[in-house]
Amino acid sequence: MKALLRNHFLALSIVVLCSTAGGMAYAQTPPAPAPAAAAPVPVPPATAELREAAAKAPTVADLQKGDPGGSITGTIADVTLADSKAGMTLADVASQVGQDKVAINFVWTLVCGFLVMFMQAGFAMVESGLCRVKNANHTYMMNFFVYGCGLLAFWVIGFAIQMGGAAGNANLGGLNPLNAEHTISLFGKTWGLFGQTGYFLAGHSYDVGVMVIFLFQMVFMDTALTIVTGACAERWKFITFSVTSVIMGALTYPLFANWAWGGGWLSQLGSNLGLGKGYADFAGSGVVHAVGGLTALAVCMILGPRIGKFNRDGSANPIIGHDMSAVLIGCFILAFGWFGFNPGSTLGAASNGNLRIGSIAVATMLAGCTGTFGAILYMWITKGKPDASMSGNGLLAGLVAITAPSGFVSAPGAAVIGLIAGVLVCLSVSFVENVLKVDDPVGAISVHGANGLWGVLSVGLFADGTSNYGGSWNNVTGSVTGLFYGDATQLAAQLVGISTLLGAVFTLSFAINMVLEYVIGHRVSAETELNGLDIPEMGQLGYPEFVFRPEPVFAAAA
Amino acid sequence: MAASKSQGSFFGLFLVGATVLCGGIAYSASATGKLLLLVGAGILLAAGAGFLKIKPLEGETPLHPGPEAMKWIGAGVVALGWVFTLGGLHFVEGNGGRIIVALLGIGVSLFGMLYVLPATFNKTAFWKKPAGASARTGFAAVADGATLQSERIAASTAAMRAAK
Repeated sequence: MKALLRNHFLALSIVVLCSTAGGMAYAQTPPAPAPAAAAPVPVPPATAELREAAAKAPTVADLQKGDPGGSITGTIADVTLADSKAGMTLADVASQVGQDKVAINFVWTLVCGFLVMFMQAGFAMVESGLCRVKNANHTYMMNFFVYGCGLLAFWVIGFAIQMGGAAGNANLGGLNPLNAEHTISLFGKTWGLFGQTGYFLAGHSYDVGVMVIFLFQMVFMDTALTIVTGACAERWKFITFSVTSVIMGALTYPLFANWAWGGGWLSQLGSNLGLGKGYADFAGSGVVHAVGGLTALAVCMILGPRIGKFNRDGSANPIIGHDMSAVLIGCFILAFGWFGFNPGSTLGAASNGNLRIGSIAVATMLAGCTGTFGAILYMWITKGKPDASMSGNGLLAGLVAITAPSGFVSAPGAAVIGLIAGVLVCLSVSFVENVLKVDDPVGAISVHGANGLWGVLSVGLFADGTSNYGGSWNNVTGSVTGLFYGDATQLAAQLVGISTLLGAVFTLSFAINMVLEYVIGHRVSAETELNGLDIPEMGQLGYPEFVFRPEPVFAAAA
Repeated sequence: MAASKSQGSFFGLFLVGATVLCGGIAYSASATGKLLLLVGAGILLAAGAGFLKIKPLEGETPLHPGPEAMKWIGAGVVALGWVFTLGGLHFVEGNGGRIIVALLGIGVSLFGMLYVLPATFNKTAFWKKPAGASARTGFAAVADGATLQSERIAASTAAMRAAK
C-alpha cells in the first residue's frame, strides 16, 4: 500500500512540475527571432576567399617593422571598402581595379604631358642657338612667351573648340562632360566641325579627367606654336608674334585638332565614307608639326628674308648661328621630350591595348636615330662635312615623321620612315632656300612642315595592322592598316588629311597673318634688324658682356 | 619704334577683348552672353584701331610694296585644291578615284603654295634691287646695301677658298 501511495505521489509531483514549468513557459515573452547577421547567410566562395585573405594580410605591427623588400606593402588590406562592417566584397575589388586603371592612365598621361612641356626648353635652345647673338634674347623670349600666350588662349576657348565634343575616352574615365560637338549634315552624313563645351574649364568641365586631357593637349598645342618662332626669328616684331600666337592657340590649331582628334569630320572619314579607320594621326605629325610648319611658311612669306640672306642674283648666303652647343643640347632635350609626345598619346598605360607603349617608344627612338643618319650621310657625301645643324635637324625630322605612325608601325617600318625623313629634311631646306627664296633660319618649315606631311602619308603606307587600341580606331572596328599591308583606303584618308592641312590650315594661317600685316605689321624696321632685336624689342641683350662687331654696312650708312 | 608702352597697352586691350568675346561665345545662349559678345568685339576693334594708329611710328622696313591682289589669289589657289579634294569625296565613287582626286587637289594646293605665292612675294623682293636704284630711301636702301655687302663677303670667301 505504501509503495502504491509513493508511486501516485511521484506521478502527481511530475504532473505538477510539468504543469508549472509549462505555465511559466507560456507566461514568458516569446523569444525574439535571431538577428539576421547571426543567421547563417550563405557567403559566396569568392567573398569568403577575399575575407580569408584579408585576415591573413600583414598587420600594423608587421608594417611597423619596415618593409625593405617591398613584399608586404600594398596588399589586400589596402583595398578601399564600401562598407567596413560588411567586410570585403567582390564589388570592392572590382571598383578598386577600375579606379587603379584610370589612376595609372592619369599618371601616365600627366607625366608624359610634363615631358612634352619640357620640350619648350629644347626648342628655345635650338632656335636661339641657330640665330645670331644679337637676337638671342628676342628669340629666347619668343619661345618663353609663346607658352603663356598659347596656354591662355587654349584655356579660354581653344580647348573647347578642340575637345568640346570628345567624350567617350575610356582610358581617362569617359570624359563625359565634353559632349557637345557642332555638326553639319552634308551628303546625307553628319560631320563634326568644332567642339562647344569646356570654355574656361568651367561648369561641367570642372572634372578630373577633363583636367588631365586639357594639360596633355595644351602642351601639344604649344609645341605647334613654338615652331613658328624659329622660322620667323631675327626679324619678327614681338607684338605681332604675341597676337598671332594667341590667335593660333585659340583658333587655327584647335580647329584642325578637332577635325583629327576631337571627333571632327576627318576622324569620321572611316565611319562615314569607309576610308580606312578615318584620318589617323597618332601623336600629331599633322596636327602639331605640319600645322606649325605650314603656319611658319605662311608667316615667313609675309615677313620676307633677313637682310643679307639673299644676293641680287638670288643665291643664298649662310647666316651662321651663334651657339652650336645649345643647338645640339636642345635637340637632345627635344628627343627626350618626344617620349612624352608619342608613347603618351595612348592616353594611358593600362588596358585598351596600351601595353604597346614600349613599341611606340622604340619606334620613336629608331626613327630619330635613322633620321640623324640620313641627314649626316647626305651632308657628308654631298657637301663633304657631317654638318652639325643639319644632323640635329635630321634627328628632329625623324622624330617628327614618326609622330603620326608611331602607334601603328613596326620597328623596321619606323627605321625606314626616319631614314627618309633625314634625307628629306636636307632636300627640303635646300628647296625652301634656293627655289622658294624663303628664309627659314632654323629649318622649321622643312623639319616640321615637310616631314609632318611625310609622317601623315607614311601612316597610309606603313601601318601594319597589329595595333589594337580597344578594338577600334575612330569608331571603326579593326586596326589601322596601310597600303603596304593591304589597305589602300587608309591611304585615301591620309591624303585627304594632307590636302586639308595644305588647303585649309595654310590658307587660314595665311589670311590671319595677312590681316595682322595690314593692322600691326610683322616686320621690324631695317634699323632694328641690323642693330639686333635684343635692345630695340626686348630692352636687354641676351649676352650683355659680349663685344659686338659692328655691322659694317650699317655703320657706313650711319 | 620697336617695342613701346603703346604696344603693351594695346596688347593688353586685345587680350581683354578676346577674353570677353570668348566669354560671350561660351554663354551666347543667354542675354549676358550676347552682351559680352558685343562688348568683347568692341574692345577688340578698339585694340585694332590702336595698333593701326601706332603702326606708322614703326621705322621703315626693308620690304617693298608688292601685288596685294596676287597674294590673295595665290592663297585662293591653295584653298581651291582642298575644295577639289572635298568635292572628290562626294562625286567620285571608289577608293582609287578618290586617291587620284585627292592627289590632284594636293597638286593644286602645292602649285599655289610653292609657285604662285613665292613668285608674288619675290616679284618685288628688296634683295633683288641694286643698291641706290630703290625708289625708297633710308633704311630700305641700307638693306639693299647689306645685300651688296653680303655678296662681297661671299665673293671674298670664295676667293679665299680658291686660293687655298
